[in-house]
Amino acid sequence: MNAPTSDTTERSERAGRPAATPRGPAPARRRRPADLRTWGAFALLTAPMLIGLGIFKYVAIGWSFLLSLSNAHGTIALGQWVGLDNYRQLLSDDTFRSSLGKILLFTVFIVPVTFVVSLGLALLVNRVRRGRAVVRTAFLIPTAVSYVAASLVWKMCLFNGLPAGIANMVGGWFGMDSVPWLQTTDPPLYWIVLVTLRLWLQVGFYMVLFLAGLQAIPKEIDEAAALDGATGFRKLMRITLPMLRNTSVAVLMLQFIAAFQAFDEFYNLFSSGLSGTATAPVQTPLVYLYNTSMGSQNYGLGSAGAFVLTALIVAVTLIQGRLTGFGKGEE
Amino acid sequence: MSAHRPQLSRRGFLGGSLLFVAGAAVGCSTSPTGGDSSGAKTTLNVWSHAYGEAGTQQALTRYAEAFTKANPDIAVKVTWTPGDYGAKLNSALLTDGAPDVFEIGDFSQAMARRGQLAALDDVYGSAKSDFSQGNLDYMTVDGKLYGVKMIDDVMMLYYRKSALAKAGINPPTTFDELAAAAKALTTKNTKGLFVGNDGLGDTPALAVLSNGGDLVTNGKVVFDSPQAAEAVAALKRLADDQSLLLGFTTDWWDPSALIQNVVPMQWCGLWAMPAIKTALGDDFGVLPWPAFKAGGSPVLRVGGWTACVNAKGKHVDAAKKFVQWLWVDQTDLQKDWSESYGFHVPPRASVAAAADKLAQGAAKETVELAAKYGKHNPNTWDSEVSTPFSAAAKKIVSGQGDAAQLLSDAAKQAQTALDKQHT
Repeated sequence: MNAPTSDTTERSERAGRPAATPRGPAPARRRRPADLRTWGAFALLTAPMLIGLGIFKYVAIGWSFLLSLSNAHGTIALGQWVGLDNYRQLLSDDTFRSSLGKILLFTVFIVPVTFVVSLGLALLVNRVRRGRAVVRTAFLIPTAVSYVAASLVWKMCLFNGLPAGIANMVGGWFGMDSVPWLQTTDPPLYWIVLVTLRLWLQVGFYMVLFLAGLQAIPKEIDEAAALDGATGFRKLMRITLPMLRNTSVAVLMLQFIAAFQAFDEFYNLFSSGLSGTATAPVQTPLVYLYNTSMGSQNYGLGSAGAFVLTALIVAVTLIQGRLTGFGKGEE
Repeated sequence: MSAHRPQLSRRGFLGGSLLFVAGAAVGCSTSPTGGDSSGAKTTLNVWSHAYGEAGTQQALTRYAEAFTKANPDIAVKVTWTPGDYGAKLNSALLTDGAPDVFEIGDFSQAMARRGQLAALDDVYGSAKSDFSQGNLDYMTVDGKLYGVKMIDDVMMLYYRKSALAKAGINPPTTFDELAAAAKALTTKNTKGLFVGNDGLGDTPALAVLSNGGDLVTNGKVVFDSPQAAEAVAALKRLADDQSLLLGFTTDWWDPSALIQNVVPMQWCGLWAMPAIKTALGDDFGVLPWPAFKAGGSPVLRVGGWTACVNAKGKHVDAAKKFVQWLWVDQTDLQKDWSESYGFHVPPRASVAAAADKLAQGAAKETVELAAKYGKHNPNTWDSEVSTPFSAAAKKIVSGQGDAAQLLSDAAKQAQTALDKQHT
């Protein structure tokens, strides 16, 4: 698995060719009749995946787009075309607009915090000499917990409104009165619950990505830097962070998308028996869309919202890609 | 380390893949119901939300088996659905795996108008007059009946007699008295009243109804009337006094907060009465939500569950037969369902009269109160119409704007949604 790059290339060039056939000098271009077998194998091996992707993703996406242009109440059959009415209704709905505002606020806050915390953890864990695997695993384990399970623990155990709740108990040691964490809107204490939950669940995962990036930094560079007298903070800023650029950009992008798609914890923390999430202090766009489609059965409006949200995610990703140069490869 | 792993040969890989696919195919095609459907021509898929009381799931399965015994050609598969029942049902109704028979909590005329529900007039037969006119009206859309009410669920205020007596408080009869009682019963570590974890629950609608207002009348959204705005705005007092229990581990429909002595007053339902009686003995009483002020009216909410038949299902006739058998004909099973687990009021008058457990003590009191002050939600009150109201109420209670203005905006939005139910 740690084979040098040159070795891998050689093997893939050899793959698919009959071993005994003598060949001339390596062809510069790929697509030659002799490579038909390779293409056949490629098609055979990727077809199940591509067909699945086509049917279950692209056809569904296309259908959903058509739905967004039609009046589809309680049905996903097409037919009653209404043009852009759904989009108009959506963008004039205060609830949806405020949900977009809230998710931007959430993103602007949670992305840098997750980024800094996971990078910091990775740097620390990377310096641990003994038992690194144990430490790494300890931080990674929360990633394997489902959002739903974690939300319930946070809601019922840690941040419930009772004096016996763990957060209130700890607060009580310092003379604080018990507060209902999720229901207090002034000041908005529910953000503490949301942010701590997401950090606990996500930091470990991004930490592992950063660790992989850190371990890929060649020892020679570190040593050369050390010889030149770069240590501590200076080494971090001049050597480590620049060498982590590709990892950082990918992590940022993943975090943006994850933040925009926030649903699970918002839904599970705020849903209440009677009114669903109608009275939640903050609704994310996905929660709004879930209520619209699954609650009110307005699939047309729901699809329109899905496309608005997708457009937003694509736009942010593209802008971020342009600013950070993601996908340009190594210099 | 990976370099030393024995390579998987192409043949081995292919063989393994085929085995896996074959195994998956066999696994997926095996019916999870087991031997239930042997010999039956049709299998009905019946959906139920997860009732909280012990024994309910077994009871429903028992009824289904009894039906198959009486109708050997129809097997019944009961799907018990925990979690967000409404959302799961709505999405399942779009698919081939849609249930043939399902229950819904708040009957919605929109579902009938969209053609999702089958008309059930012929299912009632001669028993129709045994059902209350209120329930029949509730399920009538354009002159046809689209459901059979399985149970009436009464929701009311429970209070601990001892706690109120100790504080020298009489059971409240107006909203002012309720708010004052809730405040007086609030101490550093306990709150006075539990209406729901969001601090609202059903109270906005109760407030409107208790002040002579209404939610929807004759297809017009009217929750923006002055008396409605006055009553909803007054709910802010409960929040400002900090006398509401918030963020409890279970929600208002579960009696744990009352039973565990976390609150002395809780809005809950008749279904919870057996559990409350077991835990508290006679140390509890029931009350309607009090009149907003003199001249208003006390109110209890009557909800419940309605059996419906999927109009687009493959076995509409068999499904109708099942609904008729269980929820119209089998009066003894209806009685069992209504009083052996949680308490519910049987919708058939004759069954209700025979339900002896409901004819004594606090249960009897509740049934009488419900007959006098009980209110159904209108059948136009689906989530698209109710959401703007709940959201506005939340803003009003947390002081984010003027009640009349917020309710008037919400009413416009709700009216648009309501008008769409007819298209």
